Amino acid sequence: MTGEQTACPQCAAPAGVADRFCESCGGPLLEEPKPEIHRVAIPRPGLGADGPCADCGNAAFADGYCTACGHRRAEPDRDEALLGAIALITDRGLHHARNEDAAAAGTVGGRDPHQPLAVAVAVCDGVSTSGDPQMASAAASKGGVDAMLAALAERSDARTAVLAGLAEAAKAAAAAGVGTDPARAPSCTYTAAIVVTHADEGVRVTVGNVGDSRAYWLPEPPAPARQLTLDDSLAQELMTAGASAESEFVLRGAHTITRWLGADAGATPWSEDSVQTITADGPGSLLLCSDGLWNYLPDADELARFCSGTDPSAAARALTEHALQAGGQDNITVVVIPIGGAS
Amino acid sequence: MSSPAQHDISVDVDHNPYLAEGSGTVDAIVSITAGSDVAAAAAPRERVEAIIIDCSTSMLKPAGKFDAAKRGTTAAIDELTDGTYFIIVAGTGQAAAVYPTDGVPTRAGTASRAAAARAVDGLRPNGGTAMGTWLAYVRDVVGQFPGALTHAILLTDGKDEHETPEELQLEISLSIGEFTCDCRGVGTDWRVEELRSISSALLGSVDIVADPDDLAEDFAAMMRTSMGKTIPDLTLRLWTPAGAKVGFVKQVAPTVEDLTSRRVESGNQVGGYPLGSWGAEDRDYHIQVEVEPAAAGREKLAARVSVLSGDEVLGEGLVKTVWTADTALSAKISRRVAHYTGQAELAQAVQDGLSARKDGDVATATAKLQRAMELAVESGNDGTAKLLRGVIEVDERTGTARLKREVAAADEMALDARSTKTARVRKET
Repeated sequence: MTGEQTACPQCAAPAGVADRFCESCGGPLLEEPKPEIHRVAIPRPGLGADGPCADCGNAAFADGYCTACGHRRAEPDRDEALLGAIALITDRGLHHARNEDAAAAGTVGGRDPHQPLAVAVAVCDGVSTSGDPQMASAAASKGGVDAMLAALAERSDARTAVLAGLAEAAKAAAAAGVGTDPARAPSCTYTAAIVVTHADEGVRVTVGNVGDSRAYWLPEPPAPARQLTLDDSLAQELMTAGASAESEFVLRGAHTITRWLGADAGATPWSEDSVQTITADGPGSLLLCSDGLWNYLPDADELARFCSGTDPSAAARALTEHALQAGGQDNITVVVIPIGGAS
Repeated sequence: MSSPAQHDISVDVDHNPYLAEGSGTVDAIVSITAGSDVAAAAAPRERVEAIIIDCSTSMLKPAGKFDAAKRGTTAAIDELTDGTYFIIVAGTGQAAAVYPTDGVPTRAGTASRAAAARAVDGLRPNGGTAMGTWLAYVRDVVGQFPGALTHAILLTDGKDEHETPEELQLEISLSIGEFTCDCRGVGTDWRVEELRSISSALLGSVDIVADPDDLAEDFAAMMRTSMGKTIPDLTLRLWTPAGAKVGFVKQVAPTVEDLTSRRVESGNQVGGYPLGSWGAEDRDYHIQVEVEPAAAGREKLAARVSVLSGDEVLGEGLVKTVWTADTALSAKISRRVAHYTGQAELAQAVQDGLSARKDGDVATATAKLQRAMELAVESGNDGTAKLLRGVIEVDERTGTARLKREVAAADEMALDARSTKTARVRKET
């Protein structure tokens, strides 16, 4: 007997660690381990359903209405999640009756040297002129992340995975509108990122988007922070055509999006140009957010100041609080992905 | 699950749930329906019927009136189902038992119905009119039958003269909840307002029987309706949110009856409104609640309407409200809310117009009754429109209205007595 011994997982017969097949039953000994996948999606429905009335503090409800002030039981104002070191927050804001944003994140691999750790994240913002846009947001963010993770598990490259995510998110958003008034089909934005940590080549970030939710790369100073996505908005089109960012037309068109996901959006409402990859040249944070945040903090350097600490949860909370303090006019969604730090 | 659905009373809410920002007035039509199965499933109760026949001296004139009253009473007796406790009361300046003579109600049966008819036939009018004493008498009698379905028919031909109006009002208020009372006036010497104050408080009907020969048919019909009531004392319970005010609670079909002041507080933010006894029937209510406005997009429960028998909830409806910035949504008025608002205004216009006419205020009377005519015609209330034609002429070409100079007293009283009858609009499906 030479070398170390192990046992066949099928028939328990002893086998050598280097053997590829069991000499007893012929079964494979070095079956590829399935890559580990973890994921999370917010907002989670039904959260906070046991709390007291948000309007008057009364604890009892009947048929979903407060027994004192009669207000319909409020959805929780905020949902927070942590996936590894990735911090996700979505908040109703102060003026909208419900949260129509959604976010999802997942990780795949990391143990196997052939399967580097990859992170997939998506943020969606429901188009409030459509009916029940929160259904499109939830479906698109979850569907997009699942498709990206599946593609990554199959060892697709990040660009292919982002495009697979876009395709699945578009399908999911359109399906969310089945049975509703076609003129008010639920629709949403979609901004996704994949972060792959290569053992030797450093960290690569691939982003893709439809609509005006954004991704920012916020490296530790002095490296310059920057916005990675280009909004699909009237304002951006005007600026691309040469208009000044402060011009009246740009300001007026700031919230008119030119692309979206949903039943009324066509099969592939994205530009392949939107999918691009950068290499992170040092530690920092990748930030994905809805316009509920960037309306108040459009500037990448200002955003970077919030993310310079080591705690992504604290950074995500600070950003959300800032948007609320500044007015909270819209739903706020923030995802902070730490890159190349302690690990 | 609670009791089986087929035994429940249905409570349907019809309203525009959308309110403009800053607005807090919620109007809803609540339809309460007790199906025949509900009525049949009610636990059997003892029934007590009292028939009060006016035996004042004035009943002698014109000739034939008192005979008609006796025939009416006998016709009602004939409708009593076997086993019903009943008593016949002669009303004058006081009340006296006609049958059974000892004043203790007896069960209806072939023999007792015949004996009662004979006793009625032997009546001779002689005396005054003090309706309060009649009510007090019936109240004492039905008080011996707690939990029973208790009902009275009151027939008179004149004004309440031999007691003060305060005495009458006191007796009415003491009788509330003790029995229901349908009132009929024969001839034209009685006061509609007076009888309405009794029938309204005691959850019954009021009408004129202008022709004494019609009494028999009318009395039989009244008694048949009463025999169809199987559920005593339903209550409409209204929950409203903290800080809300109840504008009004009105029955709007089959007749207009304002219940607002009859509220009995039954806990925090909750009040009960007595609905009287029910058979298989449906009634509509207009409820107006003033709630604290909320921001656009918020949703609030403006009212919870429950129908109770004792402590048991038989049906429930929710009046929900959503605030919106979309004025196209908030500006809509529910068709039925609009209709019944018009019917309540119609009843009021008729009563105000007739009252002004009595006072000799021709201008006000003409304006009110013309408005009433418009409302009656628009809403399809043909009964009231027909009665209005008896007191006011409207030139269809010019639209000018003129009070009729010659108005039959009976026509005017019929209009007054029936002014609260509403045209129904069914809910849209």
